[in-house]
Amino acid sequence: MNENSKKKVHYKKILAAVPKWIILGFFLVITIYPVFWMVFGSLKSTSEFYLNIWGLPKTFLFENYINAWSRGQLGMKYINSILTTGLFLLIVIPVNSCAAYALARVRFRGRKLIYSFLLVGMMIPGGVLGMPTYTVALKLGLVNSIPGIALVYAGQAVSFGVFLMRAFYIGLPASLEEAAIIDGCNRFQSFLKIVVPLTLPGIMIQVVFSGLNTWNEYFLASLMLRSDEVKTLPLGIMSFVGEYSTDFPQMFAALTAATLPMIIIYLIAQKQFIAGLTAGATKG
Amino acid sequence: MFKQVSQRKKRLGSSAFPYVMTVPALILFTIFVIAPFIYGFYTSFYQWDGLSDMKYIGIKNYIYALQDETFRLSLKNTFVYAVVVTIFKNGIGLGLALLIANQIRGKAFCRTALYMPVTFSYVVVGVLWTWIYNPTFGILNGMLEWLGLDGLIQGWLSDPNIAIFSVAWVDIWKWIGFHMVLYLSALQSVPKTLYEAARIDGANKFDEFIHITIPQINSIIVLNVLLAITGAFVNNYNLVNVMTGGGPFNSTETALTYSVKTAFSYRNLGKANAMSIILFAIVFIIGFLQFKMMTKDAD
Repeated sequence: MNENSKKKVHYKKILAAVPKWIILGFFLVITIYPVFWMVFGSLKSTSEFYLNIWGLPKTFLFENYINAWSRGQLGMKYINSILTTGLFLLIVIPVNSCAAYALARVRFRGRKLIYSFLLVGMMIPGGVLGMPTYTVALKLGLVNSIPGIALVYAGQAVSFGVFLMRAFYIGLPASLEEAAIIDGCNRFQSFLKIVVPLTLPGIMIQVVFSGLNTWNEYFLASLMLRSDEVKTLPLGIMSFVGEYSTDFPQMFAALTAATLPMIIIYLIAQKQFIAGLTAGATKG
Repeated sequence: MFKQVSQRKKRLGSSAFPYVMTVPALILFTIFVIAPFIYGFYTSFYQWDGLSDMKYIGIKNYIYALQDETFRLSLKNTFVYAVVVTIFKNGIGLGLALLIANQIRGKAFCRTALYMPVTFSYVVVGVLWTWIYNPTFGILNGMLEWLGLDGLIQGWLSDPNIAIFSVAWVDIWKWIGFHMVLYLSALQSVPKTLYEAARIDGANKFDEFIHITIPQINSIIVLNVLLAITGAFVNNYNLVNVMTGGGPFNSTETALTYSVKTAFSYRNLGKANAMSIILFAIVFIIGFLQFKMMTKDAD
């Protein structure tokens, strides 16, 4: 093959890749551009918003953020969301880890029965039972309270979490715990000191998967959290949109303020996010 | 020494330890999953506004629900939504995965960028797209106008014929990256030697795709489809509630949004729970299949 035909092959390869990059480029643009559009819009004045739909803002009106933040009480909504998700994780991670450990590593009467019972939940798609769940929460006095909704979320995350964690514990060699027991640990100590540190990756998957689900949850929250002081971020955005439906730059500012921290966390920890969410949705 | 250990193990095994460890999970699960299910089933046989006394009316709630034209329409919408969403999430997800599977440059960037919407809440995504669809300043119609495709300009959320598809697209948009990542890891696990052997036999790219790729990633395709369907039945509530509230003319009303309306706006909890149970019965089969898929090689 001489130089010329080599070059021809090379060009052919590039040409063949053009349609591919057009398709990829299209999907990249429609994924990324709306986010930039949101950020740009949040910094424009109301008049510029209508005149300059597409591009960068000419003046950067950061006061949109100050106004949106105080009008929408976004600080309080952030705190509520952090409390809800934090409390939820504090309940569900130890509860699921303990149950999954016992079901994976200890032989006891009723083990199979308990595990099958817990797995029934995986066949009940969450959300379909939103209405009845709300009714039960109402009877138990858990409506309109952050600990209340954290408990409900925890209950609904049991099945999947136990299923996921059990897979991690089953893979561990038995000799580890035996060694710990010889050293004088009891069963619980050996679990806490030896097993838990070894299965941190599994715990992280659960934290990312269930934590993000709870952080973004809207359906049950919209049923259960009725008054302003307990509303989480998704609910806060919804009521902001309803109340200030004409001041578009401020609405964009509220939306950006609610999303940007998550985008930054995602970009920093994207490996954990992608691994956690995909493994979380399929299995460990 | 060995004997001692096994004796100790025996004693510990028969103690209360495993029960103490599993009880909290059992309590939480029973109260917030099993009890609502039973309670919802129970109240579906009663006439109840949520405040006054309940009155037993047998299966009338189910009859009322099935006779309710809006409920029937909402079931139809739920199905249309689920089918559209499942086809496009998987079609686009698999397509993009095939495009970047053998790519070295730009692959990580594509994955990071396309996966980003997965982390957004439905509220944010719904509000953002409501504005994109907005007839006065939305960028979608603006873009079509700029491209000279004025004929394609629509009232994306105000035209009853297309509103449900506009809402479904937002769900698709949010999850493309998720399905793409699942397909990518499946594609990478297909042994390269299979393709080499096929190429020697003179197979083209299309033959390879049909006879090697599809059979090799079959189980992941099934799982992706099931995940998309169960997701679609449940997640439509968020987007519909945020974007259209069920309108225009109930054209985007889904089973979930309508059951919540029946409970809170029409104060008919019995009928609302009957609708929930009907929806549950429909989704259960899909949920069961998905569960079977996920636990197939676990034990």
